[in-house]
Amino acid sequence: MSATWLALAPLLAPVLALGAALLLRAAQPQRPGAAGVVATLMQCCFLAPLALAIAIPDTLTPLRIALLAALALALLARDREDILQSECALKLTWVLAAAFALSWAGESLLTLAAGTATTTEQWPALALQLDPYGLWSAALAMTLIAGLVLLGGAPFHFWLADVAHGTRASLAPLIATGLQVSGAALLVQRLHGVDAFAQAASLVRGHLTIACVLALLGGAATVATAKRPERRVGLLASLQGALLLASLIATSDASALPLMRWGAHLALAMTGALALAHFLPVAAAPDAPAAALFRRHPYSGVAGAYAMLSLAGAPGTPGMSLWLQVARALVRTHHPGLLLALVVAWITAFSVAATTVRAAFGSPSTAPMPERAVPWPARAALWACAAGLAAMAFGVLGR
Amino acid sequence: MHRLRALLTPLTFGIAALALGFVALALPGLVAAALGLEGVALAFWIWARASSDPREALARWAWLRRPAMALWFAAALAAALPAAPAVPLAVSPPVSTGLAVVLEVPELVATPSAASRDPLAPMRLLEALAILFAGLELLAALPTSRPYPDHAGPLPNVGAWITGVLPAAGLLVLWRQAPLWTSAPLVREFASLALIFAAALAVLRAYSRRTWTASLRWLAACDSALAAMLIALDALPREIVLLLWFAAAGGRLTALATELRGSAGRRGALSARLWRLAGFSASACMSWPLLIAVGFPNGHFRPLEFVFVAAPVYLATALSLRRVTQVPERRAMARPDATRVLSLVGASLTLLIGPAALALAWWEGFEASFPAGIVALIPALLAAWPRAWLARETELPPVVRASVAAGATARDFALSVYRSVLVFERRIADALAALIRALGAPARDLHAGDAQEYLLFLVGVSVLALLLPLLR
Repeated sequence: MSATWLALAPLLAPVLALGAALLLRAAQPQRPGAAGVVATLMQCCFLAPLALAIAIPDTLTPLRIALLAALALALLARDREDILQSECALKLTWVLAAAFALSWAGESLLTLAAGTATTTEQWPALALQLDPYGLWSAALAMTLIAGLVLLGGAPFHFWLADVAHGTRASLAPLIATGLQVSGAALLVQRLHGVDAFAQAASLVRGHLTIACVLALLGGAATVATAKRPERRVGLLASLQGALLLASLIATSDASALPLMRWGAHLALAMTGALALAHFLPVAAAPDAPAAALFRRHPYSGVAGAYAMLSLAGAPGTPGMSLWLQVARALVRTHHPGLLLALVVAWITAFSVAATTVRAAFGSPSTAPMPERAVPWPARAALWACAAGLAAMAFGVLGR
Repeated sequence: MHRLRALLTPLTFGIAALALGFVALALPGLVAAALGLEGVALAFWIWARASSDPREALARWAWLRRPAMALWFAAALAAALPAAPAVPLAVSPPVSTGLAVVLEVPELVATPSAASRDPLAPMRLLEALAILFAGLELLAALPTSRPYPDHAGPLPNVGAWITGVLPAAGLLVLWRQAPLWTSAPLVREFASLALIFAAALAVLRAYSRRTWTASLRWLAACDSALAAMLIALDALPREIVLLLWFAAAGGRLTALATELRGSAGRRGALSARLWRLAGFSASACMSWPLLIAVGFPNGHFRPLEFVFVAAPVYLATALSLRRVTQVPERRAMARPDATRVLSLVGASLTLLIGPAALALAWWEGFEASFPAGIVALIPALLAAWPRAWLARETELPPVVRASVAAGATARDFALSVYRSVLVFERRIADALAALIRALGAPARDLHAGDAQEYLLFLVGVSVLALLLPLLR
């Protein structure tokens, strides 16, 4: 395989997720004629910057992240007739505006204390201990808030579950993943070079450890009790945020879990899982017949199930290798408590995903097949995500 | 093509999943074991959803994913953790072996230095406990799965037999993964206590059940628990334990299969006698080394532990002898029947494998001291002793005499004990669940989902983040 191909490979997963989003948009009821095609292409154009952010997270600056968040909110708020989506937009606006404001205030205070706005120069300046501890420590804690909220780990997992539940399947995955990747990039940039000032590194690790344990255990407890499949997918994505947080604790430069690979997997897995979740029953009895997708097109259902299992990190999926990578990094850096929380969260996520897939298969039924087939673009989207994840599992993508 | 499609039924899918599951369980490695248990759980799920009452069957056998999940948990830890360093023990290795270790105060030796201490030891302990949990749950040795051998499986016709394979899966887990869970501190002792309790309850339930098929399922669970005890106590090489278990529990499962084929194993004097002898031999052979290990650790007699193990052994052996009653022939002249031939072959193998395994153990160096070897045989011999000589009503103690006169039977007593334990365990589980619900309810009611609440929550968390460093 040529070097050019390998270099381009990480870009392919977000492009595939964008393609899947386009297919899912095509599967929705549309305006007739050219207007429908134009609307679909317009949505694709607006989602493209989010896909680009997932593909090359290193290029994200705080300003670009704020612009991306604004774009995501605009996409959510555009359709005023959609009540759930509008509510998501409202909640996210409240929370993101406050989080960005707090982080911006923290950045300003830190700049004031260090005398420079460049992150790598701030640590040696702060290490001189010229400023009171209360000032820089409070400022540092505030700078992390936007990143933590955007990552969506519990207790900030509400927005992910809301977006997954209330937003259309063609929009939600890329918006959620784009924002999560932005949050991760914010944290990585903020912590760049923090080891130069041991006291700050220790403070940040303490904060992040509390946040990570909360995100893992709170996320696990919530995902185990969630009733709607869409919310479960959102909560599984929030556990992915917690996973990245754990990798940041293990190695502050996120080398334990390359951001590009994590984002690429999250985009594909969430797109497939969310597309599947919209076809699943909400609270079916154990003996209820299978979901329409699984009765008419069982193989497409299996493709979607693969994406959901990968999002949960089930064995045999690329998702599992991410969890394992972080777990090994935690062992190497002597974080047994965090490792335990990670394994508990993983087993809960896997168990919930397996139970959801079982419920999707339902019980054999002699009732006639559903008359209407699931639209082919939706099935093609499931297959595209599954193919991308399978390729990732074999190491072609996201290397 | 049409014929091939006709073969692809839930029954065949389930059988394939179960067979592959058992193959994976026999392979080394935790991932293979977890996949094996997933296969077993998948088979039961496939059959349950295709059964006549899928709602009940799916709910009844849903617990089978728990042992699989426990093994995945252990597999995840094993994959993440590096190999254990050779660390000196903080507790001296026990002088005595067997169940007696539980009752002894461990002798503390010099504490290892901080550098030599394994920081991941609690994780390794959790890994061992997860493996043990999976095995014990399948052996009906934990309250969460205790009553399952009472129920027939979700398959038509052979459902009564299929439940019997679950203790086999549990034993395979404990047998194959023994090096991982027996090396953790105090896990063997905890396992021994749980297993002896499970064996006692299983044999009481076998005694209290009127149908022989149900009793056989419970006896298979009891034998598997006793075999797992042999592994936990490291009394014999593991291959010998497997052979002994194969004779004991395997014999029960063969007898159960013949019972479901028109009681073929009990038709005819020869067949019934052979099965009686086979059951006695298999039970006696497996319990003999176990009683030696438990009752005579380090050459000293431990009467309390001996009685705890001897009682279920006596009852299981007695049931093997007395419940195999001859069934009258349905025809004046018996026809040649493949099931009957297979039953005779199964009984003969059950009869021979136990003593052969003991001979192999002796060949490999297993020895019993003079009184231990004889005393360990007493429970089995007592069970074989003529019944009339053993218990006469006039010799009953005065406390029991009144109840017996009022019509109470030993079976009623066994049933009461079993049910009391189950009710007690269920109450504890209910109390724990209520406590968790009570603790979780306020967390669920914390917010109503309004957008303003989200903002307030964020502000609250921010204030906390600001205060935390100042409070350091």
